[in-house]
Amino acid sequence: MDLQNIVEDQGETLTTTSMNDSTLDHPLNSTSGSLNDICYELSSLQDLACRGSWRSILDKVARARTQSLLSKPHEHLIYLAYNTIALAKLRRFSDAIAELDTLENGIDNVIYSYENYPQHYPNQHGSMAPFALRWLYAELPSRVGNRQETIDRFYTLLHFVREKTKTKTNTNKDSSGMSDDIWRKREGLVINSIISHHLSHKEFVVCLDLIKDLISRDSTPGSRAVLISKLGYVQMQLGDLEGAKTSFGMVEEIVTEEKVEIELKNLVNRNKAMMFMVGKDYVSAVREYQECIDRDDSDVVAINNKALCLMYLRDLSDSIKVLESALERVPTAALNETFVVNLCSMYELAYVNHSDIKKTLSNWIARVAPDDFDTSATRV
Amino acid sequence: MVNEGEGGPSGGHGGYGGDNNDSDTDGTQSLAFRVMRLCRPTFHVETPLRFDLSDLIVGEDDDDPQSQFRRLLQSQSSTTTDLTYTNRFLLHDDHPSDAMGLPGMLVLPQSFGAIYLGETFCSYISINNSSSFEVRDIVIKAEIQTERQRILLLDTTKTPVETIRAGGRYDFIVEHDVKELGAHTLVCTAQYSDGDAERKYLPQYFKFTVSNPLSVRTKVRVVKETTYLEACLENNTKSNLYMDQVDFEPASNWSAVLLRADSHHSEKSVSASREIFKPPILIKSGGGIHNYLYQLKPLLDESAPMKFEGSNVLGKLQITWRTNLGEPGRLQTQQITGNLITQKEIELKATKVPSVIILEKPFTVCLSLTNLTESKLGPFEVLLSLSDSQEEKSLIGVGLKKMALPQVEAFRSLNFQMNLIPMEAGMQKISGITVFNTTEKKSYDPLPDIEVGLHMFLSCYCWSSNWSNQKHY
Repeated sequence: MDLQNIVEDQGETLTTTSMNDSTLDHPLNSTSGSLNDICYELSSLQDLACRGSWRSILDKVARARTQSLLSKPHEHLIYLAYNTIALAKLRRFSDAIAELDTLENGIDNVIYSYENYPQHYPNQHGSMAPFALRWLYAELPSRVGNRQETIDRFYTLLHFVREKTKTKTNTNKDSSGMSDDIWRKREGLVINSIISHHLSHKEFVVCLDLIKDLISRDSTPGSRAVLISKLGYVQMQLGDLEGAKTSFGMVEEIVTEEKVEIELKNLVNRNKAMMFMVGKDYVSAVREYQECIDRDDSDVVAINNKALCLMYLRDLSDSIKVLESALERVPTAALNETFVVNLCSMYELAYVNHSDIKKTLSNWIARVAPDDFDTSATRV
Repeated sequence: MVNEGEGGPSGGHGGYGGDNNDSDTDGTQSLAFRVMRLCRPTFHVETPLRFDLSDLIVGEDDDDPQSQFRRLLQSQSSTTTDLTYTNRFLLHDDHPSDAMGLPGMLVLPQSFGAIYLGETFCSYISINNSSSFEVRDIVIKAEIQTERQRILLLDTTKTPVETIRAGGRYDFIVEHDVKELGAHTLVCTAQYSDGDAERKYLPQYFKFTVSNPLSVRTKVRVVKETTYLEACLENNTKSNLYMDQVDFEPASNWSAVLLRADSHHSEKSVSASREIFKPPILIKSGGGIHNYLYQLKPLLDESAPMKFEGSNVLGKLQITWRTNLGEPGRLQTQQITGNLITQKEIELKATKVPSVIILEKPFTVCLSLTNLTESKLGPFEVLLSLSDSQEEKSLIGVGLKKMALPQVEAFRSLNFQMNLIPMEAGMQKISGITVFNTTEKKSYDPLPDIEVGLHMFLSCYCWSSNWSNQKHY
């Protein structure tokens, strides 16, 4: 890979990027030239990912590799990342792990650092590997049944990130001094991932401790409100209703202080609705959710939960209508597995011969859904 | 998908469908029951496969925010009217907790699950007309049948449902507090007139088993005047139990106080966060335990003194727990009994002990014998009993070995004195005093040792030379 080829490659890239017309409106495409500066046909890759066209991504990566379309080392790593994610999204987890294993001797290998290619990266230092690769390395074992390995790797990753944050804080000399911010963000990401694993295994007490840790870190009021709401959900899930009530109260205080976006207003209403639900006052819960939907008709959490409340009010017909209409109106927001699982449960209750209606739903999903949609949600 | 847990309806998916008892029906049925257990929903949890763009397309050490790439990324605005599935791929920049995978969406119960004593069984019942004809005059009944009884949950006999159109449904929700263990059957029956005006009968049965969620083991210990009750709760269910309330309700002659361990220093966090971070009492599923310790004191009511010779009822435990989304369960234990208490009839106390006691010189102890019963007791004999131990006695009596005391009236005390000689220096106990009731010819249990705690036994030999000016009593 020498410099001359790279220059030629870049020229080619700008003219041969394949994009459909419909993607021109995509915000990333307004600077599509810039994204492609980072990496060969990156904006196309990104566009496919946002559409959930993971199979196309696999094709694209395969083609780029066989036709040697990638000129710089870091491009290979970016393509590796997208490829691994695509395989994981398609639930081909063993293949995803194998893909990551193609990193020679792991991600910390010096060959993945900028210094190793001074001719390509004259002024850059450190690892060129995207951080996502580390995250995937930690996450994937749990998807093939090795949960303990994932937990261990995430805690190791947390330690790694914390060490980086310390180093960056210590060596930061420039006035902006914010590079440790990015590592702090990653620290938050890793902690959140750890919490999600403990949550899936109902290890609630650990979750409470970890969330407490997160809350004490600096963050914007909006993200604090969201985080404390999640604390409330965990408390509710384990049965501590008083604790949840206190948490939601704190969220309300934060939100009333700030000039609020619709998103946060809806958060407060949804929390109120949850408190009504656990008190079995489903009518008031529906009212709260309706307020959210009136403000934002793509608030799928409110729509989903409202449908469940209707069901607990013995109104199975309306609960089905609420979910079906959301799928029609805002499919890209509403089409998620939880939504579909709930709708199918309702179908199974409402119809003796429910396989017909579920088949109809299944067919519609096949036409509209992204590649990574888990079709087992319909239980057809 | 087959239902998990014990019991559960047979046929169909977890919680749905049911058993058709065909022998009772002739021909085809227009109606069918669909049943779904309606316990509380749960929050959906998953680890999302979502990423931050900057973690994906630039090197991890390319973290200088002033770099070209970072500025580029910052210029990307997040769209709200995004018609693609970006929300399945990218993390919301403003909400890092998106990565926790707890969006707040609820999921309906996906299986019948296990059901335990003390919980409330709640079920959605839908009666569907899958025929092409209207059915009329539908009398619906829903009952719970256990080994011991049949409990009616719903009966439309007095006001039958007029009609269910072809393809239509009639829904209802039933609730029942589960108070028995073992096999239960939800019996749903419908009598109706079908399209041919034939009267049909449809019974359907949904079986489930109720198990015991908790084992409660108690231990009672008496230390001096106080009774301690230790209760160990063991969780036999498949989920963690949040102990909402565990209250010991003492019997009328007792008062009880829950003893708590001092909280760990790490729990004493900043005051604002203290309220939400009170650690919950959560007993782990499948055998986890939690212990409670209560201190019980007898309530001494002067007007109605304890008559319960041999009675030992302490009280009972009221337990309320919660599972997902606060689903409650309530149980009460049976009466918890303590050790058999022999009612004290008499009490012996030392009322006065000299402040200075000299080795090998006699001293006088003033004692008081109290009659705790409501009738005269006595006369008595008081003895300083011979020790069984190998050790030499540290105190020996002076004078009469046996002292005779007259009768003592109900609730009255009698004061008397004993002379003793100390044979050893240091703190000593006056022990082995026995009281014998000469009328009833019975000995009371050896009375508790009287400690002469504040008093000191001095050796006069050591001190006499220095203390010549001191008075010795």
